[in-house]
Amino acid sequence: MEGISLRNQVRMAKFSICIALLFALGGCSEQSKSKSTETRLSLLRTTNPHPAVLDEKEEEFKFAEKLQKEVLKQPEIYDVAIIMGKKEVLVAYKVRHLQRFRMKKIEKNLTKKLEKQYPKEKFIVSSDYKIFIEAVDLNEKLKDPKYSRKKATDQFKSIIKLQKEQT
Amino acid sequence: MANKNKENLKINQQDYNKLQKKYELKRPVWQNCMRAFLVGGTICLIGQAIMYFYIYFFNFTEQTAGNPTTATLIFFALLLTGFGVYDRLGQMGGAGSAVPVTGFGNAVISAAIEHRTEGYVLGVGGNIFKLAGSVIVFGVFSAFVVALIKTIVLMVIGG
Repeated sequence: MEGISLRNQVRMAKFSICIALLFALGGCSEQSKSKSTETRLSLLRTTNPHPAVLDEKEEEFKFAEKLQKEVLKQPEIYDVAIIMGKKEVLVAYKVRHLQRFRMKKIEKNLTKKLEKQYPKEKFIVSSDYKIFIEAVDLNEKLKDPKYSRKKATDQFKSIIKLQKEQT
Repeated sequence: MANKNKENLKINQQDYNKLQKKYELKRPVWQNCMRAFLVGGTICLIGQAIMYFYIYFFNFTEQTAGNPTTATLIFFALLLTGFGVYDRLGQMGGAGSAVPVTGFGNAVISAAIEHRTEGYVLGVGGNIFKLAGSVIVFGVFSAFVVALIKTIVLMVIGG
């Protein structure tokens, strides 16, 4: 190493860091391929996916559609993904940019409103982007009739677990 | 000739102040503010992009993605300080580069690099928190005081 000047050493260090970053980012792009285009773009644009139901019954579908319309009536919310589980209903939504200062209040009000209107249901309300992306992903997967419903239930449970995570 | 010069120098303090104001360089406050805004804003933009990266590719929610984002920004500050880029950024951006968490990282890392020649224990270990230590102590202590006040207020009001 004595023959190599300090400038060259710095250059080599910069080069190796760039290579390492490229590999790291490349690995991430491989992971994102497993997600559909709709899921990938849900972070950037309004998707408003059709509500998904794990326990596929006609009345459940109707209820989910009604719920979606109800949530979209809120002026602060512009995008909503609903997934009806067997016990819980997941409501993931996006809040308009300037209303994001009142995010907690909006969540509180929406939860209160939904619980008052539908006291029999247990709602899990979240404005988190991650929960929204995961909900859209599960929704897309449920469109495929061959997709295992057990896997879907497991994914639904993992989304709820993620929502409860604090740190 | 010498006497004439001395007579010329006899000016009172007010005249001197006027003269000084005429020749002193004005501090470019607005320019500095704009630079700080742009540099600080760019750092925050990068931070936001890193946060979305963690949310999108890993199992982090908006609430939990803050921790790895901070760690990554400090890691980048470490590299830039080591390569001598952050110094120039600091010279240009001023407070814009010092206020975000990267400025905190820079304060720790530059102290470690500076005292490396004095040894790892007494040099690096003894001086690494020379600049940032006060920030940590101030943060922890003020958090303690605020928590204490909140506890007392809640006890009195009975929330």
